[in-house]
Amino acid sequence: MKLLERYEPFYAPFCDMCCLCTYGKCDLTEGKKGACGIDIEAQQARTVLLACCIGSAAHSGHARHLLEYLIDKHGKELPIDLGMNIDIEAPIMRVVLGKHPKNLGDLKDGLNYLEEQMVHLLSACHTGQEGKSVDFESKALHAGLMDNLGKEIGDLAQIVALNMPKGEDAPLVELGMGSVKKEKPIVLCIGHNVAPGAGIIDYMEDQELEDDVEVCGICCAALDITRYNSRAKVVGPMSKQLKFIRSGVADVVVVDEQCVRTDILEEARKNKACVIATTDKICLGLPDMTHADPDIIVRKLVNDEVEGVLIQDPDKVGEVATRVALKISKERKSIKKLPNLEEIQEMSKECTQCGWCIRVCPNSLNMKEAVEGAMESNFTKFQELYENDVCYTCGRCEQECEVDLPLISMLTKVGEHYVKNEKYNVRAGRGPVQDVEIRRVGAPLVLGDIPGVIAFVGCSNYPEGADDVAKMAEEFLERNYIVVTSGCGAMSIGEYRDEEGKTLYERYSGDFDAKGLVNVGSCVSNAHIPGACIKIANIFAKKPLEGNFQEIADYILNRVGACGVAWGAFSQKAAAIATGINRWGIPVVVGPHGTKYRRLFLGRADKTEKWRVNDLRAGKVMEGEPAPEHLLYAAENREEATVAIVKLCIRPTDTTKGRQIKLNNYIDLHKKYFGTIPHDVYKFVRTEKDIPITYKKEVLKILEDVEWEPKAILQEPSLMDFKEEIVSGGK
Amino acid sequence: MDERVIPWQPTVIAGPKQALLVTPETAEMMIQKAKRPLLVIGPLINDSPAQTLSTKIAEKWDIPMVSTGDAFKSLSEAGVQSRAYGLVEIVNLLKDPDWEGLKGDGQHDLVLFVGVLYYMGSQGLSTLKHFAPHIKTLTICRFFHSNADASFPNMNEGEWLKYLEKLAK
Repeated sequence: MKLLERYEPFYAPFCDMCCLCTYGKCDLTEGKKGACGIDIEAQQARTVLLACCIGSAAHSGHARHLLEYLIDKHGKELPIDLGMNIDIEAPIMRVVLGKHPKNLGDLKDGLNYLEEQMVHLLSACHTGQEGKSVDFESKALHAGLMDNLGKEIGDLAQIVALNMPKGEDAPLVELGMGSVKKEKPIVLCIGHNVAPGAGIIDYMEDQELEDDVEVCGICCAALDITRYNSRAKVVGPMSKQLKFIRSGVADVVVVDEQCVRTDILEEARKNKACVIATTDKICLGLPDMTHADPDIIVRKLVNDEVEGVLIQDPDKVGEVATRVALKISKERKSIKKLPNLEEIQEMSKECTQCGWCIRVCPNSLNMKEAVEGAMESNFTKFQELYENDVCYTCGRCEQECEVDLPLISMLTKVGEHYVKNEKYNVRAGRGPVQDVEIRRVGAPLVLGDIPGVIAFVGCSNYPEGADDVAKMAEEFLERNYIVVTSGCGAMSIGEYRDEEGKTLYERYSGDFDAKGLVNVGSCVSNAHIPGACIKIANIFAKKPLEGNFQEIADYILNRVGACGVAWGAFSQKAAAIATGINRWGIPVVVGPHGTKYRRLFLGRADKTEKWRVNDLRAGKVMEGEPAPEHLLYAAENREEATVAIVKLCIRPTDTTKGRQIKLNNYIDLHKKYFGTIPHDVYKFVRTEKDIPITYKKEVLKILEDVEWEPKAILQEPSLMDFKEEIVSGGK
Repeated sequence: MDERVIPWQPTVIAGPKQALLVTPETAEMMIQKAKRPLLVIGPLINDSPAQTLSTKIAEKWDIPMVSTGDAFKSLSEAGVQSRAYGLVEIVNLLKDPDWEGLKGDGQHDLVLFVGVLYYMGSQGLSTLKHFAPHIKTLTICRFFHSNADASFPNMNEGEWLKYLEKLAK
């Protein structure tokens, strides 16, 4: 019995055709095959594999950039030392490669391995290679695992070389558009690679300019810069990108890699901001001045002789960005960047009310209504779109507008004018979970006393605003779950205040423990989440690490009540992240946009044969439970997701006390959002002792109605070593 | 091109196969012809007149109802029985020709969708279009769904409610 047999791929084609080769386009509807012989199912799986390869390559390319730069700077002998409380520094590398990296140079072995694997995986996507969906899926899971490995290497390298927090408590750092001191020269970093940001910080410190220039960031680069220096500001998740650029606050925009708007140069130039590209992944068509004299580069930028420059030397970026910001800031302050409210009112009168702004919006937001209000000087609807990033400013409405209204600029101005106090905080990324913490929580997690670890990761393609993520996190924190977060999710959580005005980071500790809110850091820091689960298998259950992937993943699937949530997943990286997490046996819930990835992994609770497990202690195959019921699930709204997430934390090995706690949460939340006890609760009751006392009477009634019978509590459930297992092909 | 039959979110156009545009009369014929129809009702119309009308349509033809998202609560507060499933869960069951159906009397042969998040519904309809030849899909939302077999056109709220009223009569 294997993962893909229990959690069969569920395909939702985003496109009926294949257009990857010149035979095409090929119509794959109604059972038709393409000219190469591929069918719609395999084509979906192939696209998923491509997405996972792209995502994994983005993280691993990032890791390669970082590692080479850091080895150049600190030498390959720099030890991988995470301090007294972490002995298992690289759990993923140890399990997957069987190698224990001792220094930066050793990390290269991991990258060499995954780069070779990625070439093979990508080659399988070529026409006339794989043809069965299951084989593509098997490879997609492997691409996800390579993504895990690349991220772990990238984060480890930056933690040890840049002295980022090593699993210890990290400080709260400022977050929000309002946290940036607009009167100062401002350098904005966008992307994921910390190196240019670190170069800027270093230069400022060397020149004692820390108080003279403001450094801020958007997306993961922001989080990682604050791990390097907590004085830097986090503007927010990538949903802020266009509006912050349009606001014109940033004097210099430094981009590195991943998730940067590809029209960033055009947008930045509208407000005469200078753009510095810093990696070979995003060159923006700019002249490569990596080897030029900084004085010359600064002069060219300040005098507008070039639109921007490419500098692939983080230290030089630091100098140039800072000097340029100091020189152009004063003049830029006087440039008018956004229309004023009166102008917005006048512009709005041009609206033809065609309504296409709504139709092209990914969330069908009513931009037309906002414009109609503005005609009457009523900006309330614009405000509602602005707040909580309900509109994440993708800008598709502007592209569609038949009278070219600058809708995002209008939205930005209204927000700037009416939405005050956009100052929040986020706990700087702490990196890995400490071994001592695992020792403390391993038993309660595996037994169910701590009802689960829930990880909010990924991007900001939210269906109804960023608040949803924070509200889910709050719900689970109140119920004693360990909440882990990273990347844009971590920032979205920080942008939410309770009635007393406190953020969740102010209310909850950063400990990896019940009611802990742990920000591990950026996208690459996601590796510490499966890393923590691996450590539970090793430290608590004494499972060997080196080269022991199958047993560790099997343990995690059956025993560790963890669930990932990528509520706003949009990117190929998020596809790779989720698929990689799945490969460790950890279920993931995505938001409704996640269905556009084309593939989920869904279980069938109604098919009992799917849930049989091999109880290694009893030495026989036994009936199991649908726990976790799905491996990759898309929910339609927050309410559904909240209930699904707690259900997905149930594991076959929960003790009766642990199961009571988990079922209590499941029933409580189902009652809250659905009004009743869940109809499938009986599937998770093994003995009457599993029933939460508060709901005993109602649950017993359901058990009676379905003629429930007690089941044995499994001791050591496993999907490995089924006697009747048929080994075939790529499964 | 008639804007009423361009998918509401135009980029969900998936390929050459497009839904048939239907009126309430044609929709009624499809329902009458079906042996085991099912109504999937989503949270976009929680507590709205459209929800009331949709449940009346279900009552008129004795169509069992599946609620998605958190629509279950809104429906049960209105005294309407439904079975809660995630949208992807019910679509996964519907694509299995051997699923016993909501009433246990066999797989459904017609599924009506209403009130489901547009783009997510479109994905679910795509699944059924490709992998459930045993099922016809009919959307009675106020948005044209190109991935369905048959769909109401894009309409404003008032016109849509009239369509639903006709179907509920």
